Amino acid sequence: MPGPIWGGKDLIMRPLAASLLVLLAASAVRAGGPPAVVSARIVLAAKDVHPGTTVRITVAARIDSGYHINDRKPSLDYLIPTKVVFDDSPSLKVERVSYPRGKLTKFVFLDSPISVYEGEIRLTALLKVSPSLKPGAYPLRGKFEYQACNDHACLPPTSVPLAAVVRVVAPPASLPPAHSAVFREK
Amino acid sequence: MKKGKVVLGVFLGIVVAVGLYFVNQYWIAPATTSAAKASGEFPQAPAFSLTSLSGDKVNLQDYRGKVVLLDFWATWCGPCRIEIPGFVELQKKYGSQGFAIIGVSMDDGPAPVRRFYQDFHMNYPVAMGTDQLGELYGGILGLPTSFLIGRDGRIYAKHVGLTDDSVFESEIKELLAASPSHEVTDFRPAGYTASGNIQVSTPAEVNSVIPGVDVAKLNPAQVKEFENVLAQEKCTCGCGFTVLKCRQVDPSCQVSLEAARTAYTNFLKTHGG
Repeated sequence: MPGPIWGGKDLIMRPLAASLLVLLAASAVRAGGPPAVVSARIVLAAKDVHPGTTVRITVAARIDSGYHINDRKPSLDYLIPTKVVFDDSPSLKVERVSYPRGKLTKFVFLDSPISVYEGEIRLTALLKVSPSLKPGAYPLRGKFEYQACNDHACLPPTSVPLAAVVRVVAPPASLPPAHSAVFREK
Repeated sequence: MKKGKVVLGVFLGIVVAVGLYFVNQYWIAPATTSAAKASGEFPQAPAFSLTSLSGDKVNLQDYRGKVVLLDFWATWCGPCRIEIPGFVELQKKYGSQGFAIIGVSMDDGPAPVRRFYQDFHMNYPVAMGTDQLGELYGGILGLPTSFLIGRDGRIYAKHVGLTDDSVFESEIKELLAASPSHEVTDFRPAGYTASGNIQVSTPAEVNSVIPGVDVAKLNPAQVKEFENVLAQEKCTCGCGFTVLKCRQVDPSCQVSLEAARTAYTNFLKTHGG
């Protein structure tokens, strides 16, 4: 039989981690299941867009402290990858979604480090606006799929909805940049 | 210099105070939980019938008289995977003494579970779980979640998260030594148990219009009235819903479950139930 997993400090950390899970589970905003430990939103690089153009977008996600989610390309084949998907739309197409590099982290339940996301992460993509799109406000919807764990337990796979409004304006109008701080950072 | 000593003294005082807090919380506290509980304190494990990966029926009722470790797990869950070899050993070691493990996989489909079963040489039945089974066992919020059931069919321990197999072994030995006809009121948990008060539900409660509360004693008008009571009470779990809405949207929420059950007890008192 394998030796004990919990050493001296785990006598304290183990109940704390389990309590954290229970507390988070009890306090997080619920929607039919596990606690939501990730929040995510879409940020557009411009307030308005012209038909037929391409605009940069970012998906900014925040993972609750103490939790991690798997890399887009998980280190182990049984881990569920993090993924962003956008609803099919003939007029608004999201292409070239780029995921950040995960952080190699060692966990008590694995022999070697695995690549995970923790804290705040940003994914980038390109939004292609159809040339035939008339001026107006159009919804851009998707979801951020993830499966989270802490040091001692895992939550079921789930997703958070993503939504933004894309304002399409006629070509003579200027296109002021938006959220420049987000897009200036690498 | 004198000021430095004062600061050091205050710092050491804080360190000692924090140390005593943890010692009290996690070393001394288990001794207090080992005190005999009132009879009926440990809930009966909800009955279920599943089909194992090999096609056999797994009825909890058939395990009466045995000590059962009911393990909710998934192949995508690292902490779950690391527990399995220990479970295989425990099954080998105590299987002949009346101990059995039932694995309940919360994977979406059986294919990865079958592979895992072979690769890890699992020697106990594994069946695919359902949300309803999870709700019968109080809602499975995190994996692994393991329940230790005594020979008398009561749940004595619920462990959420990775738990050392020495904890399970100690508790299994204690329960194997007990009589199947008596509740082990002085059961001593060997490790941290996630919930001192283990919540379970009956099928009637799970399938109720207010999940978790069996309203069979009420007539349709009273059910509506009771729903209105819950619709007036705000749930404190952080969902922002009323207790009624929280129950309907998330049956696994322990906060709304307790609130709804308390409200139901009070409702019955005033409505002659």
